[in-house]
Amino acid sequence: MIQIKDLRFYYPKSKIILDNITLDFAPGNIYGLFGKNGEGKSTLMKIMTGLLFPKAGYYRVLGKDISGRNVKCLQEIFMVPEDFELPRLKISTYEQVNSPFYPKFSRDQFYKLIEEFKLSADENISTLSFGNKKKVLIAFGIATNTKLLLMDEPTNGLDIPSKSQFRKIMALAVDEGKCIIISTHQVRDLHSLINHVVILDQSKVAFNQPLSNISEYLWFGKPMRDEKESIIYSETSFGGKAMLFRQDRDETEVDLELLFNAVLSESNKINNALNTFHDGTI
Amino acid sequence: MDFDNSKPIYLQIVDVFYENILVKKWQEGERIPSVREIAVMVEVNPNTAIRAFTYLQEQEVIYNKRGIGYFVSENGYNKVLDIKRKEFMEDLLPDIFKKMRLLDIKFEEVKDSFNQYLNNIDHENK
Amino acid sequence: MEQFNVKRIGSFIYRDVILLKGAIITTLSVVSAIFFIVFLFSLRGDHQITSGEFMSIFGKFYVALGVLFIFSVFKEAHNQKSNHLYFSLPVSSYERIAAAWLSTFVIYTLVFSILGFLVGQITIILGSMFSETNFHLLPIFSESYWQLVKVYFVIQPVFLYGAIAFNKNRVGKTLLVVVLFVIGLILLNMMLFGMLNYDYDVFSGERLASDAFDKTGQDFSGIGKGFFMGIFAPLMLLASYFKIVEKEV
Repeated sequence: MIQIKDLRFYYPKSKIILDNITLDFAPGNIYGLFGKNGEGKSTLMKIMTGLLFPKAGYYRVLGKDISGRNVKCLQEIFMVPEDFELPRLKISTYEQVNSPFYPKFSRDQFYKLIEEFKLSADENISTLSFGNKKKVLIAFGIATNTKLLLMDEPTNGLDIPSKSQFRKIMALAVDEGKCIIISTHQVRDLHSLINHVVILDQSKVAFNQPLSNISEYLWFGKPMRDEKESIIYSETSFGGKAMLFRQDRDETEVDLELLFNAVLSESNKINNALNTFHDGTI
Repeated sequence: MDFDNSKPIYLQIVDVFYENILVKKWQEGERIPSVREIAVMVEVNPNTAIRAFTYLQEQEVIYNKRGIGYFVSENGYNKVLDIKRKEFMEDLLPDIFKKMRLLDIKFEEVKDSFNQYLNNIDHENK
Repeated sequence: MEQFNVKRIGSFIYRDVILLKGAIITTLSVVSAIFFIVFLFSLRGDHQITSGEFMSIFGKFYVALGVLFIFSVFKEAHNQKSNHLYFSLPVSSYERIAAAWLSTFVIYTLVFSILGFLVGQITIILGSMFSETNFHLLPIFSESYWQLVKVYFVIQPVFLYGAIAFNKNRVGKTLLVVVLFVIGLILLNMMLFGMLNYDYDVFSGERLASDAFDKTGQDFSGIGKGFFMGIFAPLMLLASYFKIVEKEV
């Protein structure tokens, strides 16, 4: 659905932020886009929304070129930015002035989500806390029913019950035709939602695998004494969690934090391993 | 739902199903929530929920009526009982025996505790 | 045409108006009050509001507020926290420019003229009720009114361009550009005039400067006007279009 090929981006007079980015995003998935601060997550999302123009490379949404902010493209994309300001309007007025631009917008869905988030359509957005403003925008974004929904740090500013509401709403929102990409460094908030991991590091794609592959070939936990040689990466801190080749061990849940740290220090080793496994050569 | 990291999430969802069937919250032949309802309930990606459903179907604990939904199998309760018993005998007990040996706990002591536990339950129920 | 949809332009104008509703209402109320007071003063003595009196106050506000309106419409595009949502809204660049032109020129001129007329007329009616003023229709469509609308028609796209192009001190920078542009144009006209009329020896004697200015002034208002109305204004709109196309957040 979304194809990015050899994409490159830099701001004027500054170092390269994204280099040689090649990614495919398919519908029916929730992608987790991870990376340290300043590794280009937000920049990539802005490019995908047509807000920034790549310096080189290829980017297509549903086969269409987004350059020049093609309306047909934009109608299939919604992004919830990390930081934003909303106008001083009632929630219902905000919906009225912005929804006509999205052909598949569902008012029912929007007001149901607003209710689910314990907000009221009559409230003025300017009186809401940042977290609640974010909920308004998330509800709006889901109700646009765009094929591509991008969220930059969506759980930032949400309290604990709201994070749980958010996960429920996302579990309901994803369907066969929809592609959701969530960028975050709060891995714990979202790890049950994501089914594909993309990690950006040093302006490149350091890792790009479906979760099913990861749990099939990698094992997370505390290794036994005699398993030392199959350790790919281990945390020296208390607890000594490690990532191993799974081989014939029982499947474990993917520890995204550990995976993230492992990729940052051993990306080649891990990618080579996963790719060879996946190609069936081992 | 809170997940722990030791076990894949889909297997943790499977455990919730087992629990519901064992305590008869979900009766045999009864319709159970849909994949999406489960996904929302436990806040996971629907793909993960599907994996749990598929696994349970393979275990013949639930079955799918096309276009209607998922149901607990006619002998679902016994199936779950077998699975959980086997799990207890094969996974849990060896660990307990290992600990008993390590801490030098005699079998009689455990037996006494167990009988006392049964008594307490009886009292509570009366 | 999928990139140019009238309904979407309508929705976009409606959106702009709702977003600026508070500011618009406040400004129009204040302006109405000022108009009313000034019109009351014009009623003194001759008991009527002449078109000259109307234009002297109307003209002061029409262009200035129009320019302010243009910059308010594009404020969202420059705010680091709101421009993401602004530019990702599925509205094409053609539609954005069309909507901006319609709202800040056509609709604005209509609304502001009607407001001026209504306030003036109400003042006259009140005057005829409580003083010796004779009821008369307020004459707003004078030659100087159309002159002013034409001037605004020409400078509106310049400010539109400035409102899109500059990130900071947008009003100031645009004004500076306009001033420089006008000076450049006068110089060009003088040079052309000088070259073409060299043989007539107009540059001899005392009258050099004043004469040249007079002539260029005429030139400027004659052919110049046609040039501005027919070519310059649409060209600036086109330039604004390209500016908004290339705008990044």
